[in-house]
Amino acid sequence: MDEEQLVRRVAKGDRTAFEELYRLTSPWLAVRLRRRCSDDQVVAEVMQETYLAVWRAASSFAGTAAGGSAVGWVWTIAARRLVDAFRRRAHHARTPVVALHDVVSPAAEEEVLAETVGDDLGGALRRLSPELRQVLQAMVLDGLSVRETAVLLGVPEGTVKTRARRARIAMREALS
Amino acid sequence: MSGEHASRQLIGRYVLGDADIPGDELFALESHLESCAVCRARLADTAADRAPAVGLLLENVWSELEPASRASAPMPVERRWARWLATWASPGMVPWLGVSTLVAGLAWVLAEVYRNGSAVVLLLAPILPLLGVAASWARGLDPAYELVVATPRAGLYLVLRRTLAVLVVVIPLLLVCGAFLHASPGLWLLPCLAYTAGTLAVGGVIGVGRAATALALLWAVFVIAPSIGQQRLSIVLDPRALPVWGAVLVAAAVVVVTRSRAYTRLGSQL
Repeated sequence: MDEEQLVRRVAKGDRTAFEELYRLTSPWLAVRLRRRCSDDQVVAEVMQETYLAVWRAASSFAGTAAGGSAVGWVWTIAARRLVDAFRRRAHHARTPVVALHDVVSPAAEEEVLAETVGDDLGGALRRLSPELRQVLQAMVLDGLSVRETAVLLGVPEGTVKTRARRARIAMREALS
Repeated sequence: MSGEHASRQLIGRYVLGDADIPGDELFALESHLESCAVCRARLADTAADRAPAVGLLLENVWSELEPASRASAPMPVERRWARWLATWASPGMVPWLGVSTLVAGLAWVLAEVYRNGSAVVLLLAPILPLLGVAASWARGLDPAYELVVATPRAGLYLVLRRTLAVLVVVIPLLLVCGAFLHASPGLWLLPCLAYTAGTLAVGGVIGVGRAATALALLWAVFVIAPSIGQQRLSIVLDPRALPVWGAVLVAAAVVVVTRSRAYTRLGSQL
């Protein structure tokens, strides 16, 4: 059973479906959140709020008919909750403090997922400076607004806008 | 690694929080994980094997989540027809339409008691829709009024839509009453429509709610009271008055259409 069906069954109050949904998606969500927030306490808080929202509001999931995936829907909730958590706690750290053991150099085969990100685009992204990439990641990949990105990254909104513009220009140049 | 899925090595680095994954790989991996159940399962395995902190985190979250979710039930599934219905009538209109039904029922009882059924239907027909129409565009009765006024569809379009919803309920009701009490629809339909249109026309100036109240009062004082007092129907409900009602209907419709912008400004005026 895929996540969409599970969410639909959760909407009817099916607890086993909820448990199954948690089992399937929580490792992915935890890892993704931990890459954006080094404080496991905050990550746990965000995850709890997210899944509680999923449990309560599963009926509001518009479904695949509206062009959304259940996993993407869960992430949208989690990203917003993460921003809220950052707002609540003024302090935050961006870089993950998870121990960086077991780091291996990328193999040639790791030139990932060519169909998702093309070569030109990949190269451009790779050359982008980290702070520009973070802005792109928050705005494009996580689907956050300028204001939310500013909270997540801990920089002023104006800086986010400038960096987004610079990133856009850099990408355009690289692709032309 | 296969061409379609991320490698265990990359997923392992991702799980362990490796900050040195090149930007393009990270982007591709994150967007791929969102759409690929196989890679999410692979990630879950990797996390279970190599990142005990994640497993601990998940257990902690679930131990808090479990009782919290037991304490609350999911929101009920919203019915599609209920959502569609809400585009026609504001929730505040429902009790008012209920009152209309009740009044029609009372009229029926009265008519049975006084043995003059058609007169009761004729006297009530023009003002019965006003209850609903008054509630259709009133600040005090619609909790979402401020929000609705700010939407692009607010204004005449919404007023007409809600008025139509009222008429759709009230006119069949009157038809049924009329059929049982032998009142010809030809006699009451035109006054009823003219009165509703007149309310909207006046409502463009003083507010729909106030217009409905004022016109209903006028009707009660100048038509219903004399009819009861003199034991015969007022001249305005005579079949010969029908052309006048027709003219009123047309005039009111023209006023409503020409002053259509007034309904958009209603929010700030009243």
